[in-house]
Formats: sequence, structure tokens, C-alpha cells
Amino acid sequence: MDLRVEGVEKRFHGAAAGADRVILGGVSFAAPAGGIVCVLGPSGCGKTTLLRIIAGLESPDRGNVAIGDRVVRGPMREIGYITQEPTLLPWRTVLGNVEFGLELAGIPPEKRRETARRYLDLVELAGFDSYHPKQISGGMKQKVALARSLAVEPRVLLMDEPFAALDAQTRNALQEVLLHVLACTRTTVVFVTHNVDEAVFLGDIVVCMTAQPTRVGTSVEVTVPRPRDRTGPELNALRKELLVFLAEQRQKSRPGTMAGGTEAE
Amino acid sequence: MKISVVLLSLSLVLLGAAAPAAAAGEKLRLGYLRSDLHHLAAWVGIEKGFFRDEGLDVETAGIFNAGAEEMSAFASKSIDVGYLGMAPSVTGVANRAASVKAEALANAEGSAIVVRADSPLHQVKDLAGKTVAIPGFASVQDFLLRRALEAAGLEAGAVKIIVVKPPEMITALEASQIDAFIAWEPHASKAVTKGVGRVLLPSSQIWKGHPCCVVAFEGSVAHDRPAVVQSFLKAHARATAFILANTDEAVRIGVQYTGMDEKTVRMALGNITYRSELERAPVREYASYLGRLGYIKETDPDAILRDYIDPAGLVKDARP
Amino acid sequence: MSGRRWHFLLQLAPLAAVALLWEALSTAGIVPENRLPPPTRVLGGLADLVSRGLPPGSHLFGHCIASLRRVLGGVAAALAAGIPLGLMMGWSGRLRSLVNPFVEILRPIPPLAWVPIAILWLGIGDSSAVFIIFLGAFFPILLNTVAGVLSIERGLVEAAVILGASKRDLFLKVLAPGALPAIITGVRIAVGVGWMTVVAAEFTGVKSGYGLGYMIMTARDIQRADQIVAGMFVIGLIGFGMDALIRAAERRLLRWR
Repeated sequence: MDLRVEGVEKRFHGAAAGADRVILGGVSFAAPAGGIVCVLGPSGCGKTTLLRIIAGLESPDRGNVAIGDRVVRGPMREIGYITQEPTLLPWRTVLGNVEFGLELAGIPPEKRRETARRYLDLVELAGFDSYHPKQISGGMKQKVALARSLAVEPRVLLMDEPFAALDAQTRNALQEVLLHVLACTRTTVVFVTHNVDEAVFLGDIVVCMTAQPTRVGTSVEVTVPRPRDRTGPELNALRKELLVFLAEQRQKSRPGTMAGGTEAE
Repeated sequence: MKISVVLLSLSLVLLGAAAPAAAAGEKLRLGYLRSDLHHLAAWVGIEKGFFRDEGLDVETAGIFNAGAEEMSAFASKSIDVGYLGMAPSVTGVANRAASVKAEALANAEGSAIVVRADSPLHQVKDLAGKTVAIPGFASVQDFLLRRALEAAGLEAGAVKIIVVKPPEMITALEASQIDAFIAWEPHASKAVTKGVGRVLLPSSQIWKGHPCCVVAFEGSVAHDRPAVVQSFLKAHARATAFILANTDEAVRIGVQYTGMDEKTVRMALGNITYRSELERAPVREYASYLGRLGYIKETDPDAILRDYIDPAGLVKDARP
Repeated sequence: MSGRRWHFLLQLAPLAAVALLWEALSTAGIVPENRLPPPTRVLGGLADLVSRGLPPGSHLFGHCIASLRRVLGGVAAALAAGIPLGLMMGWSGRLRSLVNPFVEILRPIPPLAWVPIAILWLGIGDSSAVFIIFLGAFFPILLNTVAGVLSIERGLVEAAVILGASKRDLFLKVLAPGALPAIITGVRIAVGVGWMTVVAAEFTGVKSGYGLGYMIMTARDIQRADQIVAGMFVIGLIGFGMDALIRAAERRLLRWR
């Protein structure tokens, strides 16, 4: 296993004493090298916090994250991160943005331009080199973000609901692009989403989160070979199973019901 | 009967009240320059009540930082009479900035070229290649400097002439930003008493008896109220004579109006000649210098003099 | 006539109308010449400033260059000090809290109030004028730089860190370009303030004998109202020109907006 998340806990410190809320109550899962792990969970269960901890942007109160045999203590070049809103540098061109990580690594101009163009090609944006972010659509921006993150060839790529803000058609198209690009690389991907369809279409493993305090509720392996039929029976069965689980979790987080109430630490 | 007594007394009282009001005098608005010892006669006239004695109610309507400012006040008719430099008043009349008539002299001489106390400069000739500050272009000091340079055989371009406001001249001299300055009293004496400067040449040795400041009246006042003009000039002449006869009292008033220490004022007073007779010839010479140097457009000095000097007002030997 | 040229002329029309009215009022004697000289006299005064110069021998061009040099010097110093400090203050809340009290006390002091101190410390040469311009230009540049950094999306900074940016990379490749729009606004303000200040700063006297403020002061001394107004007109024109240049540069640099 390439990426290991072990017993990660995180609490939110409230202003008043005793007002601490436990967000992550001990999350553990692993991702195989080159595989895609989809993290599925109800809204507000702390998926973003979990991803930020894996990225090294925040530190866990307990537990740790390891890549290979190294523990993650802060942002590392081996870990890429893509957010829901594409964070392209508006003053740079598309090419300039994709080159950015390579520039920071000190790669000489000729080489990095060549690499950047290659990745732009992979995400189907060849020819848009000199456009500025202002001039391209949301879907295209995410493609650029993807190319930018992959251009530095990270060992792990974390993606936080990257296609959630896009319309259904664009989303589907970008999922295909993602799979296409990943086929050419050995990157391990952790893909957070609240969209069950997306999770079963993309993931080799789908990890389902419980409501707060969040733990791994259930973990499903998707062995359906690619290319997968979105509306095929295998995916449908999985989808059903996961939807039921998610519905249960939603009930749990509603206060005032028999099943509700916070579990004491 | 009682009522008529009351009525009579009442009317007498009213008459009595009215009479002093009539005798309170003609109103005149006066202007002069801040801390300019050349205008001492004005201050003496006020302090000693000489104007009041002539039936004038003189109100200080403006204290100015420069002659040009005072000319603007004349132009907007905010003052009726003013003590100011001959230079700015002639320049203003020549450039048609305002209409004023010079009626008397306030003082002659009273400026000096000052160098640093420890400087090796001893003659005007030594100023070649140096930086000299003047209070302003087209001022009497500007003219005096150029005259001194001419007399020493130097061309005007041999010396770098810049404008510095007189209050800043002493500081600039001390910091060696300028090598010399020429200014009116009391700035020259101040430099000496502060230990910063030494007089290279007093203006009396550059141009003996040169006029410096004049008493001028706003054009319409000179034209419409000649009796008032005469009364004022009489008081002015009296004040001038007073200064010559009562040095200590003059120094006291000078200290009061300039805020400078007694030692400086006394020294400065020694360099100023107080005289009320205004002569044409020196003014004419000054007017032609202005034209020659390009400060004014009018190049006929007599035409300027016609506008500037009021022959009826030339006070000859006006001592009471 | 092309549309743009026609539009440009249309903008000049109100100015021309005012000039004609002004000339008419003066000719009719309603506005006395010594209070406000008419445009024809002002143009004559301008011609004198160019040909004969004021003080005689010091020509208009030399005065313009001298004043411009002082302004550009002061603004350059303000940029050199204000941008780095602004970037750091934008980045570090602690530094901001440390420096802010000084800024808030010094900023409201009008640059001209510093003139006596400047002359005391630096004399009547170019350095005191440049110092005064610097004071006027520094605060707009500093504050706009800080605001510019604070306006950068946090996500951009994080993305750069994740891609491997060092502190130095962040400052040079993210904060500086990100704050650039605000910085340019600060420069526009700074140049405007600096230009207004230099003229007044020169009123107290300049050692070199050149400067537009010095020229106007001389015109005032010899009471040539036509040259005073001509000088003011030149000052306004140059100020307008500088601002137009900055706006053009802004359009080019910020094409990505």
C-alpha cells in the first residue's frame, strides 16, 4: 500500500470550555500504488479536513499519514492537491500555469515548456497555451489545474470534489479525461466526493464515511474493469448499497431522533 | 419744567456723544511687512498716537510676508495705505498688477551682503563662482547685488544667484548651502549676533542713499482723499523724526514688533537711514534696471514713474 | 472623420467653450486683467516662459525637467521602500500590528508640514524636495500593497506551497504579481500626490534655481499674473500626462484581468 491513513483524529476547538466538537474520530484506510480511492461521505462530515491533513496543510490531533515509509509532516512536493475551485494564477497564461510547478523546481525553460505542452495535450487542451484563465470555462480551468498538478509528477494526488461545480456533461467528460491521464502515470489518487455515481465510476476502492465523529463506515472494492458502463448492473448494485449506507448516516446526524445525538468520545 | 430740563440734558448728552464720533477720525487700513525694521515709522506712529493726532483712525489690516503679497492686497483694495519695498511696488505698477501711488520714503539703505563669520571672503570680487542668495527676483537686494558685482568687475553670470526666503537664509548660510546672502535688516544683524555671519558690505556702500521702502497709497484713495493722504504723511514725517531723536524708545518699539532681541535690533537700527523724502532719480534708475533685466515689459521708465509717483504727494523736508 | 477622432474633439469642446467665454469676459472688462489674465495673455506669458525664461535665462523646459526629476526620485524611493515592506506586512499579521501604529500616526501629516524639518536636516537642495515627495508617495504605495496582498485568494497561496514554492518564490511569484493591480493604483495616487507636493515644496527655494514651483514663485514675486497662470497650466498638463502614461501601462500590464 502506497498511502496509509492511520487513526487520524481532529477536533474543532470551540470558544467555550467543553464545546470541542470531534470532526474526525479516527479515520484509517489505505490506497494502493497507482490506484484511485474515492472517499464518499455526507456533506459536512469533514472530508475536506481529512484531505488537508493528508496534504500536510493541517496536522491531526492523533494518528498520522504515511507515504511509502515517510510520515507526512507538512506540504511535500510528492503530494499534489486539487480543490473544487480551480486556483489558477490569473496573471499567467494556461501554459504559464502548467509550467508553474516545474519552474519552482528549477527545470530549465525549454524542458518545462515541453513537459507542460505534453500534459496540456493529455487533458485535451492543446492549442490553448496563450489563453488567460479569464478567457476559459470552468471545466477548462479544472483541466489546467489537473495538468498543472500532474506536470510535477506527484506520487499522490488529492482531489477535493474537483468536478462538483460543473454541469453534468462537463463532469462526465472530465472524469474520462482524468482516467485517461491517470492511465499514463503511476499516481495514487484520493478523490473526495459526495456523488455516488462519480465514486463508483472512478474508484478502485470506495471508502464511505460515517457522520460525525467521522470514521470509515464501510469500504467497497470496485473490481469492474474499465471502461465502465455508468448505467450497467454492476455499478447499479454498488450504487444502491452505498446510497443506503449514506441515508443511514444522514439519519444519525439529525438531532432529536432516536438514532440521533452525538456519540461521546 | 422738569421735563424740558430732562430733554435739554438729553440732547446735550447726545450731542456730546456725537461730537467725539465725528472727531474719531478718518478710517485708514494699513499694511506692512512682518518683522521688517524698515517700517519702524509705521509702528512708531501707531504706538505714539501720531496718526490719531492727525485725526486718522488707522487700523492694521494686514501684516505680510512679502511685498508682492501686499501688492495683491492693494489690487483687491483690502488696504488703503501700505509700507512696502520700492521694488515690489514699482514692479507691480509696471506689470499692471495694481494701482498704487508712492507718496513718501519710509527708509533708505538698511541691507547688507553677509558671508559666514569664518569665511575667507573679504571683498565682492571674492564672490566669483560662489552661490549667493537673494530674497526674491526684482527686489532691491537683487539690484544691489548686481550693482555690487558690476562695480567689482564681475559679470552677473560669474555668481550663482538663487532665491531663499530671508528667515531661511541664516540656516542655509550656517549649513554652507550658500556662501553669502543679501537681505534687509534685521536679518543681516541677526546673522552677526548669532555668530553665524559677518557683514561683507553694507548696502550704503553699494549705492549711497538708495531708497528702500516707501509709503504707498492705493490708487483710488490717493485720488479721492488727498486731505487724508496729507495728514498721514505729516504723521509719518513726525514718526521718522522721532526715530532719529529717540533711539532707545525706537529700539523698544522695534523689539516689540519684530520679536527679536534688543542687541540685534539696536545693531540693525544703526544700519538703516530713516528719511521721508522721496526722490525721482533713484526710482527711475531702478525702473530702467527692471526693464533691462526683463522683469517687466514696459521699457519706458518715465511712463512707469508717471503711474507710480504722485508729484503732489512728494513731501519735501516734512518735519513738523 | 473617424469615430474616435470625432469623440476626442467632442471632449475638447467644453474646454474650448470655457476659454472663449473667459476671453470674452476679460475683453468686456468684467473680469479685470490683473485678477485673471485672459487666455491670450496667458499664452503670451507661456511664450515668454519658453523663450526668455523666468527668472530670465532659466527656460521652461529646464524647470519641467528639474521638477520631474524630483518627483520621480521621490516616487522611486517610495516604491523601493513601500513595496517590499507592504508585501511583508500583507503576509504577516504580526508585522502589520507592529508597524500599523507608526503608519497611522505619520500618514495624516501633510508632506508640506515636513518642509521646515526637511530643510533643517537636508538643506535646500534636491534631497529635501525628494524627501518630501517620498513622504507623500510612500503611504499610498504601502497601504495599497498591503491591501493587494490581503486581497489574494488564500487558495492561490496554498496551491503554490503545494507545488513546492519557497518563501522567496511566494513573495516574488505569487504575492507581488497578485498585488500588482492594487500597487499600480497606489502608484497613480503616489505620483499625483508627489506632483502636487513638489510644486509647493519648491516654493521655499531650491538650490539649483530650477523647478516649476520656483518658477511660479518668481512670477509671483514680479507680479506677472499671466505667467503664474501659464505655469499652473503647464503643471496641470504634465500631471495629466503622467497619469495617462500610468493608465496606459496599467492596461498593458493587467491585460489578464
